Amino acid sequence: MKRLNLTERLGLISYRNQSKSDIKPHIRVETDICNSVCPHKCTTYVCPANCYTMDEEGKVHFQVEDCIECGTCMYACDQGAVTWEFPDPEIGRGITWNYG
Amino acid sequence: MDEKFDCIIVGAGVAGLTAAMILARNNMKFLLIEKGEFPGSKNVSGGVIWGEDLSRLVPEYWHETDGGWDRYINHRRLTFIDEQSSFSIDFKSDHFNTPPYAGIVVLRSKFDRWLAGKVEEAIAESDFAMDSFIATNILVEEILMEKDKAVGIRTGDEKFYADSIILAEGVNNLLTRQAGLQNDYVPADHILTGVKEIIRYDQNVLEDRFQLNGLSGMSNEYVGFATRGVEGGGFLYTNRDTISIGLVLGLKDLRKKGLKPHDILSDFKAHPVIKDTIRGGEVVEYSAHVVSSGDKRIMPKKLYKDGLLVCGEAANLLMNAGKAIQGMDYAMRSGILAAESAIKARDAGDFSSHIMKGYQDALNNSYVMQDINNFQDAVHLLHNPVMYQKMPNLINHFGRNFFTIRNEPTKKAHAMFRESVSEHASWMDLIKIGIKGARSL
Ligand SMILES: Cc1cc2nc3c(=O)[nH]c(=O)nc-3n(C[C@H](O)[C@H](O)[C@H](O)COP(=O)(O)OP(=O)(O)OC[C@H]3O[C@@H](n4cnc5c(N)ncnc54)[C@H](O)[C@@H]3O)c2cc1C
Ligand code: SF4
Ligand code: SF4
Repeated sequence: MKRLNLTERLGLISYRNQSKSDIKPHIRVETDICNSVCPHKCTTYVCPANCYTMDEEGKVHFQVEDCIECGTCMYACDQGAVTWEFPDPEIGRGITWNYG
Repeated sequence: MDEKFDCIIVGAGVAGLTAAMILARNNMKFLLIEKGEFPGSKNVSGGVIWGEDLSRLVPEYWHETDGGWDRYINHRRLTFIDEQSSFSIDFKSDHFNTPPYAGIVVLRSKFDRWLAGKVEEAIAESDFAMDSFIATNILVEEILMEKDKAVGIRTGDEKFYADSIILAEGVNNLLTRQAGLQNDYVPADHILTGVKEIIRYDQNVLEDRFQLNGLSGMSNEYVGFATRGVEGGGFLYTNRDTISIGLVLGLKDLRKKGLKPHDILSDFKAHPVIKDTIRGGEVVEYSAHVVSSGDKRIMPKKLYKDGLLVCGEAANLLMNAGKAIQGMDYAMRSGILAAESAIKARDAGDFSSHIMKGYQDALNNSYVMQDINNFQDAVHLLHNPVMYQKMPNLINHFGRNFFTIRNEPTKKAHAMFRESVSEHASWMDLIKIGIKGARSL
């Protein structure tokens, strides 16, 4: 079986309000904390949808669009940088599983 | 809808739908609120529902072969894997072929939706056919409190009031935390991240591949190299024409080891043994969700307050001691018990902690808390590196020697075993694990 990369995997997911360009983010990350005191920057690898990324300079960035609401970062970040909520059904993103 | 409800349930997962079914049957006027587009649309499980409680909710559900469930389990396998090999304990029995089934495989987007349909039917037959509702697409943002008693919920600018509130919001239990029953920040220590794929086959191919007959199904759990040395394990379950394959990974260990869950899943699927098992299918969904470990240390101490009850995985009710994950059956049983307490409270006209405490007592007396209490050692054992790393290596080393027939004198099995032990562990490890294992099981 072909090894799928994450982009191919995320391509299989039905996101809500996908046509809306201006969604309300349900997770806020204080990247100042990421980029100053965080010793592990673990969300950049434990997030199963790769919403947390690191650039060439080692700086952490967050974007919510691909988030699959799994909850991982809410527990994994022990630095208090993550404010986690569920997406708003009308103006948020989030998922609708076809199988689940 | 400005009148007060007898009860508001937050979350239409297994726990919330179960509670709703019991409320409807007992003529309670209730509101079940779900943030997803439809019940199940936000939910992920492995998914085997173990035990027989479903037949209490939907009697003789097994006649509905096109209902919400996919297959019943009559074939179970526990597999230890190292880098190249697998060693399985395999059990299949006719005994499991007759309903009520011992386990059924489900896909939540389909199962929860089906169960919600059954709840709608029960509402229609209740005294509150026009006044009880399942409302979807609504996110509950706040539990309304008055003098430390839960009195209602808020969504956006709208408020709804009820005599009692049942929180069935699942493991990411923001409202349970808001109500002060769990800390705002729950650390990664006893939380796992589950990643999963659904792979589709031609149904005949699937049935031949896994030796299925009619609607029979197989469940396979994996311990060892499946997780690339991260604590946790793997699973493979057969659905109608798809399989569910995935991993649950200890989040603290994942953080420490610097690995990506989706990479570990790819490696698991490429393992020589797994690769042959899943050959030829088409991946149709990738999903992820956190899941509790079954370790009591994470559980909220108190599952009630004045006017409030917490059930299902919102209370971290879960068992994972290697041979199965039990979250949905615990969600069902705790949903039943929470609903029964809400009904008792209505009958008594008393919604204080005094009555609500009866729920936690009932839960403590049920198999759910008895198993959680009795199998804590087994839960810890599964998260012991000897168990998820050394043991699978040792067992496979032994298997390789035992099943190799050479044209030379064959060693006795105990000598082979000694060799495997010295190669992959120590007698001390074994003695310690043996003692712990004997005590924990
Ligand atoms: C990878 C994986 C494999 C698993 N395998 C198994 C298995 O094989 N067998 C098993 O028994 N268990 C398994 N589990 C565990 C099982 O899935 C859970 O224990 C179970 O789903 C818990 O049910 P619940 O009803 O308590 O919560 P959930 O199923 O999570 O339902 C909670 C519901 O509440 C809704 N909700 C939450 N907050 C709000 C809000 N504020 N407003 C409105 N709605 C809200 C959610 O949208 C959701 O529908 C597995 C879990 C994972 C992640
Ligand atoms: S763990 Fe927290 S602080 Fe560290 S990079 Fe991730 S979000 Fe930022
Ligand atoms: S909830 Fe899950 S998918 Fe979403 S950002 Fe956090 S870790 Fe990533």
